[in-house]
Amino acid sequence: MDLKSQFQQIVGEQHVADGAGERYVYSFDMTENPSKEPLMVVMPSTVEEVQNIIRLANETRTPLVPFVTGQNVGGLTIPQVEGAVIVDLKRMDRILEVDEEAMYMLVEPGVTFGDVKKYLEKHFPSLRYTYPLAPPFTSVMANALLQGLCDLSTMHGSMSDFINGLEAVLPNGDIVRVGSGIMGEENWFGRYPLPDLVGLFSGWQGMTGIVTKISLKLWPKKKAMTHAALFTFGEQQTTDLLKRIVREGIIEDADCQSLSIVKMLMGVAPPVTPHRGEPDYGTVLILSANSEIELNEKYRQLENLVELSKKDEPRNLLIDWGTVTKLMGEQANAWIDFPSDAFKVLAQYDGLTWVGTYIHPKYWGAALEGGRRIVEKYGFELMAFLKPMHMLHFAEFKFIIRFPKDPATLERVRRCNEELLDLALGLKAIPYKTPVWSARRLQQFADPAFFKLLRDLKKLLDPNNIMNPGRLDL
Amino acid sequence: MTPVPSAIEEWLHSCIRCGNCKYVFKEYSPSCPSGESFNFETYFASGRLWIAHGIRNGELDWDSSLIDPIFACTTCGACEVQCLAPHRENILEVIEELRALAVKELGPLPEHRKFAERIGENHNPYGAPHHSRELAKAHNLPLSASVVYFIGCTSNYREEEIRDSTISLLKKAGVDFTIVDEYCCGSPLLRTGQLSLTSALAEHNQKVIEATGAQRVVTSCSGCYRTLARDYSRMGIKLNAEIMHISQYIRELLRSGRLAAHSIPHRIQVTYHDPCHLGRHMNEYDAPRDVLQQLPITFTEISTEDGIRENAWCCGAGGGCKSAYPDWSRETARIRLNHAQRTGAGVLVSSCPFCKRVLSDAQENDSVEILDLSELVDRLT
Repeated sequence: MDLKSQFQQIVGEQHVADGAGERYVYSFDMTENPSKEPLMVVMPSTVEEVQNIIRLANETRTPLVPFVTGQNVGGLTIPQVEGAVIVDLKRMDRILEVDEEAMYMLVEPGVTFGDVKKYLEKHFPSLRYTYPLAPPFTSVMANALLQGLCDLSTMHGSMSDFINGLEAVLPNGDIVRVGSGIMGEENWFGRYPLPDLVGLFSGWQGMTGIVTKISLKLWPKKKAMTHAALFTFGEQQTTDLLKRIVREGIIEDADCQSLSIVKMLMGVAPPVTPHRGEPDYGTVLILSANSEIELNEKYRQLENLVELSKKDEPRNLLIDWGTVTKLMGEQANAWIDFPSDAFKVLAQYDGLTWVGTYIHPKYWGAALEGGRRIVEKYGFELMAFLKPMHMLHFAEFKFIIRFPKDPATLERVRRCNEELLDLALGLKAIPYKTPVWSARRLQQFADPAFFKLLRDLKKLLDPNNIMNPGRLDL
Repeated sequence: MTPVPSAIEEWLHSCIRCGNCKYVFKEYSPSCPSGESFNFETYFASGRLWIAHGIRNGELDWDSSLIDPIFACTTCGACEVQCLAPHRENILEVIEELRALAVKELGPLPEHRKFAERIGENHNPYGAPHHSRELAKAHNLPLSASVVYFIGCTSNYREEEIRDSTISLLKKAGVDFTIVDEYCCGSPLLRTGQLSLTSALAEHNQKVIEATGAQRVVTSCSGCYRTLARDYSRMGIKLNAEIMHISQYIRELLRSGRLAAHSIPHRIQVTYHDPCHLGRHMNEYDAPRDVLQQLPITFTEISTEDGIRENAWCCGAGGGCKSAYPDWSRETARIRLNHAQRTGAGVLVSSCPFCKRVLSDAQENDSVEILDLSELVDRLT
């Protein structure tokens, strides 16, 4: 029996496709990363089916690439070797449990941010999850495992910090649980004590198994919330003020963006260019509290910090959201609502990419300044993005490029991203959702013992190297 | 015929596959019947756009395995409503252009070829004996009139109650109307990439309509409405008359008092399904609802979660899917029937004979009576 028939026996005939269309559409993503066609695509719906897929892959030495929606902006679902089979997990889309008391949810891979928002609003209105800078139809699990960020990252860090535990099918087909879920059902409250084996799956880009369930922290919904827009000038002064604001603990989240992104949201047609005298950055600040009194006090403190900053830069401007709405109309809501609406500015062409990194606070200003010069040199729109993470311990910074995928522009994008990466690595930043080309470059800078350990662990867990081989250039 | 610019070419560098087309914006419920059923990325709008890009760029060769991703789509247009990218109003144009290319390279699907042959022979996709003018004679209708009732093939040859109800209510309202020697409007061919006959059909219909001197053309069928009002002008054929859907015309008749609802002892509970060709394709959501509001019924909307107006779930019939993918088409219709049943209404009204047909076919019990708007109006006036 051929491989396709064997997969069909596992998941059903209609859930295996090896047509030209499927092989093509699953061979690339929105980024500039090189395409490679998979052999076929299989779509399991149960953990047992995932086990059987992995066992078959082991027997036949078939490489497997996990996939949910493919929107990681890192080429992470593009096969790196010939003959790979994409395991599209979007049929596994159940929210299995919400524990209101311990504030977690247990979900399958195909559950999206939109699903969670809708479900919580209907059944658990006192709880909230979060959203990333992505359409709401991306996988919650994938973003957590890939250590992405969200609108609670300024407070709580990367989404991988939200993981309480998980269930995975290992490369030998065995099922394993890590975190408090090892004690049985309805007990997914956290990942400690004991060795933190979430780290065997978080950040591995699917190289150590297929995660079939994940427990993620939920948060109490605050009673009062407001937003503000902060317009600032210069990289160093902008990041200095941002650090002072974040350190005070008065904001829930902050997204610092090139003003061009704000102008895009307001409908300025591409290419969006800066004008002399306009602010360089627009930062959305989210404030939340348990009462209006607390919220007003936080806002007052925020105003004070901005006023103090005017000694150095009198043009700094804090605008309350009512005024922003008057200026921007409906687009003001697009900026702060579930951000797929804002995401439309990134969907202008058929290409979208970024070099995203996590970076020490002392380098924020230099990163924004150096990145701006590189992007200007290559003639792309200025789309810098910086989010303080986990209070002030680090930030995510990236330069986003939206581009048409014609050959000349693709080449320009590649060269620009390489320079941006070198800038970031020079500032000891670490690329996240790391594409292969970026991991290859990273390994030239980083401690080789770390990558040796990764290789050793990969070999131990996956001796036949069937799980997403080639990722991180291991 | 005016050459139509290439939508594939125009939108070649658009769509990052963000996935917004897959779900109803802000509701987070499924929007795409095809993707929801077949699951693979190729069965969502973004997948189809990229197949078109791949073909155009030479990165993808024609292959029979492309047929299902290209044709298992009702062209309901829900993706266009949800998409936030610049190409959002042109997704169906790209898909239809891709279908025309597929027909050229691979040939039409056998089921589609069959109705093209029937249209060639009998002027309707059902292969029924052509009889429009005989109908006019039977109803003693004139050669010239101010209104042409363009029946549409499904009403004329399969869902005849719609035709008869429409003729009845037009007579009740004293409308000066006639029926022409109409040929298939061409919609089934346009939607399935079979373009060779479409110009001739359009030219014939233009000729017979204009021969009546009518100022208005009223049609029962949402697909005909879209084709006459939108596709003909894209093809460079301008009808010298206003094109109206029957729901718009009935609204006018009710408002002017030419039609009046009579009172009935017990009000029935009615819900409404938006046909894709009337709603998303032609942006007409209010006319049928305005009509329903003027009838002695209790009107209950399908829930927003299940989808109404621009977010309505497709009935599953369009785009040649009822003939080529009958099981999936019925499965899609059954989902819509469930939406209707959840309202508690005893009657599900639509304003497209093709919706009525597939919804009726999909119904496994008679829990909901499925009617076209004109049938309900004829009963209650």
